[in-house]
Order: sequence, then C-alpha cells, then structure tokens
Amino acid sequence: MRQSSVISRRVAAAAVSLVLATGAAACAGPEDTGAKGGASAGKGAAGGPQKGGTLTVLNSEAQTDFDPARLYTSGGGNVPSLVFRTLTTRNREAGAAGSKVVPDLATDLGRPNKDATEWTYTLKEGLKFEDGTPITSADVKYGIERSFAAELSGGAPYLRDWLVGGDTYEGPYKDKKGLASVVTPDDRTIVFKLKKPEGEFPFVATQTQFAPVPRAKDTGAKYEEHPVSSGPYKVVKNENDGERLVLERNEHWDPKTDEERKAYPDRIDVKAGLDEAVINQRLATSSRSDAAAVTTDTNLGPAELAQIGSDKALAARVGTGRFGFTNYIAFNPKVKPFDNPKVRQAISYAVNRTSVVNAAGGSALAEPATTFLPEQKSFGFTPYDHFPAGKTGDPEKAKALLKEAGFPNGLTVTLLHSTAQNRTTSPEIATAVQEALGKAGITVKLDGQEPNSFNEKRWSVKDAPGFFLSRWGADWPAGGPFLAPIFDGRQIVTNGSNYNHAQLNDPAVNKEIDEINKLTDLQAAAVRWGALDKKIGAQALDVPLFHPVYKRLVGKDIKNVVISDWTGVLDISQVSVK
Amino acid sequence: MTRYVLKRLAGAALVLLALSVLVYALFYLAPGDPARLACGERCNPRQIAQVREQLGLNEGVFAQYAHFLQGVFVGRDYSTGTSVVRCDAPCLGLSYQSDQQVTQLVLERLPATASLALGALVVWLVVGVGTGLLSALRRGGPTERILTVLTLAATGTPVFILGLLLLMVVCAYLQWLPFPTYVPLGENPEQWAWNMLLPWLTLGLFESAKYARLTRSSTLETLAEDHIRTFRAYGVGERAVVTRHALRGAVPPVVAVSAVDLGYMFGGAVLTESLFGIPGLGKTLLDGVREIDLPVVVGVVMVMGVAVVLAGVVADLLYAAADRRVVLT
Amino acid sequence: MTAPTDTSAPVAGIPATGAARQLLRRLRGRPAAVVSAGVLLLLVLLALAAPLFAALEGQDPYAYHDDLVDSARGGVPYGSFGGVSADHWLGVEPGTGRDLFARLLHGARVSLLVAVGATAVQVLIGVLVGLAAGLGSRWADGILSRITDVLVALPMLVLAIALTAVVPRDFPRPLLLILVIGLLGWAGTSRIVRAQTLTLKSLDFVAASRLAGSGRWRTARRELLPALAAPVITYAAISVPTNMVVEAALSFLGVGVTPPTPSWGQMLSTAQTWFRADPAYVLLPAGLLFVTVLAFTVLGDAVRTALDPREASRLRVGTRKETSR
Repeated sequence: MRQSSVISRRVAAAAVSLVLATGAAACAGPEDTGAKGGASAGKGAAGGPQKGGTLTVLNSEAQTDFDPARLYTSGGGNVPSLVFRTLTTRNREAGAAGSKVVPDLATDLGRPNKDATEWTYTLKEGLKFEDGTPITSADVKYGIERSFAAELSGGAPYLRDWLVGGDTYEGPYKDKKGLASVVTPDDRTIVFKLKKPEGEFPFVATQTQFAPVPRAKDTGAKYEEHPVSSGPYKVVKNENDGERLVLERNEHWDPKTDEERKAYPDRIDVKAGLDEAVINQRLATSSRSDAAAVTTDTNLGPAELAQIGSDKALAARVGTGRFGFTNYIAFNPKVKPFDNPKVRQAISYAVNRTSVVNAAGGSALAEPATTFLPEQKSFGFTPYDHFPAGKTGDPEKAKALLKEAGFPNGLTVTLLHSTAQNRTTSPEIATAVQEALGKAGITVKLDGQEPNSFNEKRWSVKDAPGFFLSRWGADWPAGGPFLAPIFDGRQIVTNGSNYNHAQLNDPAVNKEIDEINKLTDLQAAAVRWGALDKKIGAQALDVPLFHPVYKRLVGKDIKNVVISDWTGVLDISQVSVK
Repeated sequence: MTRYVLKRLAGAALVLLALSVLVYALFYLAPGDPARLACGERCNPRQIAQVREQLGLNEGVFAQYAHFLQGVFVGRDYSTGTSVVRCDAPCLGLSYQSDQQVTQLVLERLPATASLALGALVVWLVVGVGTGLLSALRRGGPTERILTVLTLAATGTPVFILGLLLLMVVCAYLQWLPFPTYVPLGENPEQWAWNMLLPWLTLGLFESAKYARLTRSSTLETLAEDHIRTFRAYGVGERAVVTRHALRGAVPPVVAVSAVDLGYMFGGAVLTESLFGIPGLGKTLLDGVREIDLPVVVGVVMVMGVAVVLAGVVADLLYAAADRRVVLT
Repeated sequence: MTAPTDTSAPVAGIPATGAARQLLRRLRGRPAAVVSAGVLLLLVLLALAAPLFAALEGQDPYAYHDDLVDSARGGVPYGSFGGVSADHWLGVEPGTGRDLFARLLHGARVSLLVAVGATAVQVLIGVLVGLAAGLGSRWADGILSRITDVLVALPMLVLAIALTAVVPRDFPRPLLLILVIGLLGWAGTSRIVRAQTLTLKSLDFVAASRLAGSGRWRTARRELLPALAAPVITYAAISVPTNMVVEAALSFLGVGVTPPTPSWGQMLSTAQTWFRADPAYVLLPAGLLFVTVLAFTVLGDAVRTALDPREASRLRVGTRKETSR
C-alpha cells in the first residue's frame, strides 16, 4: 500500500523501477559478505537443489503487463523470463559473472558486420512453443513488430531508435507489410539492420520484445491474459489483471536448449497486490506455503533491517545485491542561478551524503555516490570525487563558492521532489538535502509533487525546474544505456520525456558516445564509458547522491539463491524449494 | 411506500450523474497525462500521440463525457489491435492502464469488497452494540471504563497500524492464523471465512467505538423514559429492563448508521483492502487515482454512489418500520 | 436505581447564554469532564508554546543528528527507548535523528489545528445545510439531501490529489487539509441537524414561535439552534479525533502536510513499519492521539449529558470519511 509501488501497470517511474517491478532477477544467498559491486550468494536451506514442489511468489505489484511487447525489463525480467525466451539473455550466475550476456534462443550473441550496423542470429534447433509448434525466426520478427503497435506500447525505446525505419513503423496491425529492417532469410536466421553502429546490441536482444510470438495466436491487447510460452513454464491461471498468476511446467520446453533456466519447482504461484510490510513479515515468519516463498519486487526497508539485526537465522535468509542505479540531484542550467557553475559546485560541496544515505535507509541499503556511473566494473566504473564534500558535507567551501558566484548572503532555491514513499526521489531525501544546504546558507523550499506530475515536470524540456531529485537505472549493465540518454545532446527530447536534464549538447561528448558505440569489444567500451563519466562529472551538471543496495528475504525452505550484478536481486529461474 | 422508493431511485440517478460530472471535473484539474503514463516512460512523442488518440483523450472534456454517457446507455466498441470488442451497456469504458472493461473489472472486485463490508458489519454490531449495552448496564463501573477505553483505542489507531499490529501478533508472533490471502466465497467458504477474519476484525473494531457510544447513549435515553421507570418501580430486574426494553431504543439509530457505513465500505475501505491484499473496490480506486485511470475511478465512484443511496433507502425504511411516527415522503 | 443523569430542564427553551452558563456549571461537577478538559487545554498549551518547550529542551524539530542513529541497521536510534537521553527527552526519529519531543509538540500544532479546523468547517456547513433541509420546502430538502449523498460518495483521496496539484505551492498545506476534510466531511452533522430539525419543527414551542409571527430563520436562530447544540457539540467532539485519524491516513497516502513540517499523522504514517524495531517511535504519536481521542470523547459525553440526555442521544449518524479506513 505504500506509494513506492505506484509503478504498476504500464507505468514506470524509472526504467529501472519497472524492471524490478516486473521482476529482474538475480540470486541471493544466505550470507552477506558485503562485497562491493558484488553480490553475496548463499545456499539457503541445506542440501543441493532438487526438482519439484511449488514456489510461491509474494509481490506487491500485480503482473498487470504480461505481454512481451509491453514489458520494460532489464535482461528479460524475473517472472516473465520463466515464460519468454529471448535471442540472448543474462548469464544466470552470482556476482560480476552475472552481468554478462549469453545466448538463449540463438546459438551465439549475434554476428555483427564490420561496422556493427547489421546483426545476424541463428536459432537453436528443437525450439518449441507450449503447443508443440516449432519456434521460427518469423515468430521472433513478429514479436518485435508488434511491439511497435500503439496498443502494445510500453517497451524500451531501443528498437524504435536503432532499427532502420523504426521511427515510422506503426506495427503489424496497421502496417501489414512488416518491418523491412528485420529480415528472416530462412526459418532459423534473423538479421537486424541498424541506423548506426551499436556494439551493445546483444544486450538489447535480452529484452522481452525479442521473444517469439506466433502470429496465429496473437490476440492484441488481450494476448497478455495468456501469452504463448517459449520458456520452462506456461500460464495456467491469470486472475484479476495479474494479481494471481499460476505457472506450470511447459512440457515442450527442452532443457537441453536452455542452459540458463534451472526451473526446479513444478509450479510457480504468484500472489500479488500485497502490502510490502506484510510481504516481508510473511517471508520472515515462513509458515506453511510461505516457507517456499520469495518476492521479486519487495526490498527490505530500514525498519525491517533494524529488526532483523540481532536475529542470525533471519539474517542468513537475506540476499544482498546491487543493480546499476544512481540517485542524484539534477540541475537544469537553463534556469538561474543554476546556470552558474559555481552555484552548482557549491551545492555539490554542501551535500551531506551521510544524512542522505540514512534517509535512504542507512548504509546497508544505500552507498554514497560521487560518480554518475554505478560502481560495477561492467559499467566501466572509474572513481572520482571532483567536489569532495567528505562524509557530511563542506558548508564552508560551499559558502566561499557562493560568495564568488555573487551570493555572499546565501540564496533561496526550490527543490522539486515526489511524494512517493520510495526513498529515492521522496520527501525523506529532499529534507536531508534541504537540511544540509541550509548549513551553507542555501535556503531550500520543497516542492513535493504527486509522482505522475513530478515525472512529467522533470522530464519536460519546457517546464523542468532548475533543481530536482532524479534517478537513473541501467537497462543493461554497460555504460551506454547509463550515460547516453542523460548526456547525449541528440537525445534531448523537446516534445516528450527528456532525460538529459542538464540539456547538455556538447559535440565532443556526442562524438565520443558515437565512437564507443562502434566498439563490439565490451571491455574496451567500458573503460571509455568510465573516462567519459569522469570528464562530464567535472562540469557539476548533477550531484550524485547514492547507489541503492537491495536486500530481500526468502522463505526458509528456499535453496539456490543466485544474485547477479545485472539485476541485484534473486533469479527466480534458479530457485529450488526442495 | 412504492412511491417513496421510486422517488429515491430517481434521486439516485441524479446523484450518480452529479458524481460522474464531479469526478470528470476533478480529473480535469488533477495533474498528470494518462496517455503518457499508459504509453510507458520511454515513449516518443509520436507514440504518446497514438496512445492519446486510442484512449480518446484528444477530444475535449465535454466530448469525452458525452462518450462516457453513450457507453452507459448504449454501449461502445473497442479495438484490441487484432479484433474489435463490444462493451455492452452499461459500459463504464475501458481502463486507460489495463485495457480491461471497467464494468467487468468493478463486478469482479465487488464480491471481495462485499465480503469485507458485511463481515465488518457483523463485527461492529457484535462488538460495538455489545460494548454499548454492557457499558449502559454497568455504567460508571470498571467494566464500562475498560470497554470504553478498548473501543476508543481501536478507533484512535489508524487502520494501517491497527491492521499491521493484528497481523504481527496473530499471524507472525502467535501463529494462530496463516497470513490472510483472499479466497472467493464460491471457491471455498471455510477458507474464505478464515482468511477474512483479520480484515473483518480490523475494520469492525475500528468502527465499533462509534456504535458502542451510539448504543450506550440511545439505551440510556430510553432508560430515562417514564415507562422504564414504571417497570423498575414494579421490580423488573435491571438486566431485563435493559435487554428487553431499553435495547429497543438503540435499534433504529444503530441500523441507520450501519446502513450508511456499509454503503461507504463499497469502495471506501481503501487502507484495509490494501493492507490485507483484498482485491476489492477500495484498492482498485486507490490504484485508479494513482494511475490517473479516470474510467476506473468513475466506475468505483458509481458503485459507491449506488451503495450509499441504497443504504440510505434501507435505513429510512427500517427506521420507518421501527417508528410508526415517521412518514416517508 | 435512578436515571443516570439530571433530566430536569429541557435545554431547548433556554436562551443560549444561559444554557452555556448552566452547561459549564454542570460540567464542573463531573471530574471526568474536568480532567478531559484539562488534558485538552494542556495539549493546546503545549502546541501553542511548542517552540518554547523545545527551546527548554535545547532542540529544534528540524535539526538532523546523524550521529544518533545506527546507519548500518536501517537508521535505528542508538540507545534504549528510541534513543532517550538528557538531550533528547523522548528519543529521536529513526533515519534522521531529529528530536521527537520537539517534533511531537510541533506536530500537535498541525494535528490539532487541522482536526479542530476541519471540524469547525464541518459543523458550520453541516448546521447550515441541515437547517435549510429541515426547514425548507420538500424540494429544497430533496436537493440538499442528494447533494449530501454525492459528497459522501466522493472519495476524499481524489479531491485531495486534485486540490494539492491545483492549489499554489505557497498556499498553507494545513489550511488545504482543513478544507478538504471539512468540505467532504459535513454530511454526518447535516444529517443529524436535519433529523433533529424535522422532529423539533412539530414540537409545540417551535410551532408557537412560528404562530407568534417569527420568520423561518428567526425561529431557527432563536428556538432551534439552542436545541441543536447538544447533538452537534457531541458529534463535533467525536469528529475532532476522527479528523486527526483522517489526516494520518492522508499523510500515509502522500497528501498530508509538507515536509519537514511534523504532524502526528505524518509521524504515524512513517512509523508504520517501526513498531518492532523502535516501538517508542510508534507509541508516542499513537499514545498522544489516543489521549486526545479519549479526552474529546469523554468531554463530548459529559457535554451531552449535561445538556440533556434525551436530546443528546438523538445523535444518530456518525460519519467518517472512507479515507481513514
């Protein structure tokens, strides 16, 4: 019932929140090693994982979207990935290894042409839908095409932005000719033609839009009531718009074609629409069917963490992980006084990250950030702290900078934030910022807006205020989706949702982004994303505040908890209950 | 009598009309663009425009309202992309966010809400009236004081705390009951009752102080009347006086207020439904408001309107039945 | 075995000031009423002088104390009873370390103001509409009763969100809350007043007044208002704490007071999950709310019985807006 869960339906407050709501995956374990950038993995209950049993999933958000076209996921989601296989998928391993992309329906990660503008995939042999019909490249193409239909909007923007003709194609319901830039020379081959080089294309091919959809079974907006499975489970019950979901084994799924999904339980019973506090209480109590329960959308909050503190048995059932996510203060330099770099720097110095981290739930749930990129290697994390504020802020330095900027008596500014109780853009964080800036002579007035209007304001080029809380999450664990939408001048969207809050349009930055996108060597690309982040950071276009840490409980009978650096939360395809 | 009911039903139609106009007006004022929200957060302007068109949001607010009325009286057709679906009258439209027909959605959610409301009614009647009677019987004594304090404590504690407290004690700490999950009555009546027990208690206890006070004061009023003094003078026992005669005075107001409260519960028990994960109208309303889903909000408000008006009629009828001096016009 | 209260003088006929004096005299004889009134006075005093008392403690309600909370354990206060110390008499808030004593006192201002203000709006509108419905023509009665139905069925949350978005940011939020809760919560009062008016209308003294040539409104003012005082005051007494709980519910749903301003409702809504890790954080605002509920109810009862048990118990319709459930 908390507002943090407002994200439901097609709505997402941030790309990432949707990802988590619809179920990102990862595996968690019983011990928390606290390793940075890594995830602790534990065995959970004793003994090796066995097949069988029913896994209960206790969620706060209903799976209101269960159409592969409309899901916005990082790496295919958690529950959705049990039903939808995609060309590629995330590596279902703990920690850093889990941020790798691996083949799924396809035999490899895709074969690029020389300049990475054309990607060719070959489907594995023996792939079948839940009704036993073989999966062909035409089904994958159709799945992609229907994600362009207005009736099925909601997915990530990459196909529209990258595919040749993607910006004008209106989907198969209106345009019977199909999308010419997706070619299927034979039943097992599919070729994608892109507008420009995209070295990270294999990551995009993990999203549910790359799941096959048989044209004959397509029922448009009603498809989500019973999507046709290509994965280890099929939908046998979908009630109350995704509040109750029962999945059972898909007999036509051949484990020999799928190295990633373990699919131990025979049955998955998703019960959603529950209060978050109740979910955590149920997992902690672990009575009856709750002993074999997990959640794919509810984190432990600070109060629950404090309560678990002294209970070793309970603490052993907490999985910890990190998902690429940054919470920050955004500036709009088009608005005075934030056009003045000295004012932005002063604020950077004044911020007290200890208070902010405490507001976000304390050091176990948030880590102070001075870089825009998350602290995982796959993003190309390169440490920097251009405006060292120390642990609790440097109000004196801030005052001196304000004086230089022409505000010797301090100034008054308004901070836009949301009223959602999500501990990211919420009143708690805003008041922590307000309190710290007050010590540097900056009076902060708070403008708390209901989540939808908050988002519309901060995403508007026209109406965006000068100073607001924002956040960004990774669509896949690499620098590209993290930096490009925020700092690429050509991604300033004047008439829709704009994420380049600083409206930075620097030819040098744009050019470097293009250069890195040409690289198909992802490690080389990561290094350059890191360097670019450090360079942009010097302009004080934002104040990174913290990276969240996800802690989630599992029921006492849950085994094989795997948490990757990709999703930061347990991967439901690996869990066993026996 | 028939004339009275017909008149009230005509009034109900007006109430529903006014409610729908009000909700449309409020949404016109409220922030947020449903098309943008429905489209998803990384939609480009062209897609948003398409979704807006599809949801019929391009039209002026009056045209939208006219379409709503049209749906209610003659039904509407909708496209799912692959086929056209008929939404028969009374069609409350299609949810902006989930593509479900609102009439259907509201009907699906009605049983859960009705379960909660009726059970809570029983709890507040038993606990509230019982407490009220006892405290009238033992007025001034320690029993009265303790009962008063207990019912007031439940009333003075917000439902989101009272309910969670009950859950923690009964399900987590004592483990007397499993954590509730809603089971439809038709599926398994026994499970239905066990799973609804805590929600009933939470909502019922929260309401019971009001009924305790109502019962107590009505009972005391009756006790002060002359014929009761006569009974006492004749040596009728205090317990008999209270239960046989004075309680009669408490029946009409308790029934009247109960009917009204029952009406509110159809869409009004937002916090209780959310806390216990009951797929009812209150929770649907909350989601609808947060997701700027106008058709869903209008749909739930319509049901609430009907429930409130019907409850009012029932209360008046019962009141008239109990007190012959009241003439229904 | 006698009737519990004095039923001698019918209040209806007594002029207003006389009734007030009589009321006060009767209340003074009831210890429970005196104690309740004392508690409420004390609360009001504490609220009014909140900055003074906070200064006495040496704290202000907005200052963060990061060093007083255990960041590694979700920000739970160090020490026992939620971090009680010589500096922080009632401990500190988890996560921020803000002083709870100061926040509770400052919170009392908002909570009492909103609850009493909203009740005043409810009583004002409720009495006017109820009187108009009761005294007016059948048509007026029908229309006003339907309007009441409409407002009863209109979800408060919808109105609150719409209004908080439309009303300028600088508009004081407590006033907005008063208006929202007040404008949607008068149905109960108006129903009581209407029912009471309908009954009284047929009684001799009112009819006599009309016969003597008094106009409708003059009759309402001179004869009806005093008679309505008992049920309305009683109902209002129950409404004040009820409105406090409504404010808590609105805070819980994100449309309460603007941070960092504290209110009991805001504190309760953030405290929801803390009652095992830091019980004091929940018990303090909940306890204060409970004391207020108790004091208002006892005082309300006392006023009712002091006015006239018969009249008072016509209090039949209790309404609480759905948001608080």
